[in-house]
Amino acid sequence: MTSQASAADPPPGRGAGRVPDPDVEAGRLSAVRRYDILDTPPDGAFDRIAALAGRLFDVPVATVTIVDSDRIWFKATHGLEGVKEIGRDPGLCGSAILRDDALVIPDTLHDPVAADNPLVAGEMGVRFYAAAPITTPEGHRLGTVNILDTKPRSITEDDIATLSDLAAIVMDEMELRLSALNALREEQERRTAESLHAERERARAEAERAAREQAEKDKAAIAAFASTLQRTLLPPALPVVPGLELACHYRTASVHDVGGDFYDVFPVDADRWAFFLGDVCGKGPEAATVTALARHTLRAAAQIDPDPVTVLSTLNTVLLTDVAAGSRFCTALFGLLTPHEGGDFTVTVASGGHPSAYHVRPDEGGSVWVKAVRPKGGMLIGAFPEAHFAESTFRLAHGEGLFLYTDGLTEARTAQGAMLGEDGLTGFLHQRTGSLTATALVDDTVTLLDALPEGVGDDVALLTLSVPDFESVPEAGVAATAHTTATPEHFGQE
Amino acid sequence: MTDRTLTVEQLIHEDGPVLLTATGELDHHTAPQLTRTLADAPLSPGAPLVIDLSGLTYCDSTGITVLVTTYHRARAAGSSLKLAGLSDSLTRVFQIVGLDQVLSLYPTTEAALAAARH
Repeated sequence: MTSQASAADPPPGRGAGRVPDPDVEAGRLSAVRRYDILDTPPDGAFDRIAALAGRLFDVPVATVTIVDSDRIWFKATHGLEGVKEIGRDPGLCGSAILRDDALVIPDTLHDPVAADNPLVAGEMGVRFYAAAPITTPEGHRLGTVNILDTKPRSITEDDIATLSDLAAIVMDEMELRLSALNALREEQERRTAESLHAERERARAEAERAAREQAEKDKAAIAAFASTLQRTLLPPALPVVPGLELACHYRTASVHDVGGDFYDVFPVDADRWAFFLGDVCGKGPEAATVTALARHTLRAAAQIDPDPVTVLSTLNTVLLTDVAAGSRFCTALFGLLTPHEGGDFTVTVASGGHPSAYHVRPDEGGSVWVKAVRPKGGMLIGAFPEAHFAESTFRLAHGEGLFLYTDGLTEARTAQGAMLGEDGLTGFLHQRTGSLTATALVDDTVTLLDALPEGVGDDVALLTLSVPDFESVPEAGVAATAHTTATPEHFGQE
Repeated sequence: MTDRTLTVEQLIHEDGPVLLTATGELDHHTAPQLTRTLADAPLSPGAPLVIDLSGLTYCDSTGITVLVTTYHRARAAGSSLKLAGLSDSLTRVFQIVGLDQVLSLYPTTEAALAAARH
């Protein structure tokens, strides 16, 4: 049976006019863009479909075309060399794209619209044309699979069905290609993210590795935070400071409530170093945001002017004005270390509402002299515009240490159920018999915490500094260690 | 294990002051309770807010945050915040964070109310 359907004689109710409906055309074009196939290089699958169509119908020319806004682009051609695209003239493909079903023109010279098409009227002299639309699952027609001959012919309903099947195969190929493209894009994004991640990981010192592994074990907790945020929460590795021993310890009471303890040690200029330790009030993601903000601000402010009171004032202003901080405050100690020829350090410590640091040295009776470093009048940071901060200066000599902590330590409950408190802490430091090196101070405090029956109820951060004894200073005059422990107590591991 | 709870009671005096009594432990877990009550407390120039903390056995940084936020809210509303009856250990905490320099602290609720009516 012969089909007499043509662009000049559209089946009723199919909407196959000569001019595309603007809405339909807009949707169609956006689908064409989505499949991202226009102007792509030749592709074996589509070439084989064109060749198959040529052989099946025994026609000299078969093509797979995609219709752009103003042109018909050939994705694949069989028997047609050197043509990449043609204008969107009506009659052949330009009309076929406007129909839901196949367009068959047995003799173009008998079709008033097709007769004027350049392929018909021109050198090529097309007399027979049949096309089936390539239709997306949403109903957008992207283009057509076409067969052309230079002599009139008729085709059967079965042939039309076959041509439609070929168009459906083209659509399947395009779907596969789109999935592959999307998968590739995702893979590329994943790789970019991974390489970025890897770079950051490398920048991180080995001492943090243990902490990260612990954090990664609890996927549920990590899911609560953006991964970037999570990374900023991990305590930094301590640098090596010439002539000074450093140690730190960080443990979270619960991996589900990431707290806001923070600390860092960093160089200010060629000789001087700065250190800080603080605690953001409250818990959770918002507190964590402030933790990151405070850490970055303290570092940046110290590069401009390392005077501890000035640095804390800057942080106060930033926390009051930064919208990300919300109504969040923190307490912090910020110190500046200036080395002397003999190996001693001058330490200037400013306090912003933070519990005292402790200056320790061996006393004559074999125990430890403990002095609170308590600058008078330092206030909570980020709570009041008029807040002021105070600093005090002292000398950290050979064999002496400085002990900084967050209140999770003094609020930990002893076997009697009472909080350890400042008195308990000074008593503990006073009665120590071991050496006063930074590492020993942290290790012994960790042992104390581990022995508490209830563990700690809040995060604990410890930062200690010590100037080695004369006899323990190596000949090179440099003794420095950095020791980081981060223990989410949740896992009950040390 | 100590009993870690907080109870908050509110009493509005006819002659102006709003009195809140917080008893127990004010921390990360119990602070939302005080925050809710405070959010409902009327704050206006004629109604100073007095919080009786004599029954407060513990206050952590989250609790401090609630009190500082309330101080700012009261000031913004033209009201004022007066804290009464801080224990020695709570006074110590306030001194460490420097709040004693900013907040109005009174030894007893009576003293705070008297100051509020003044």
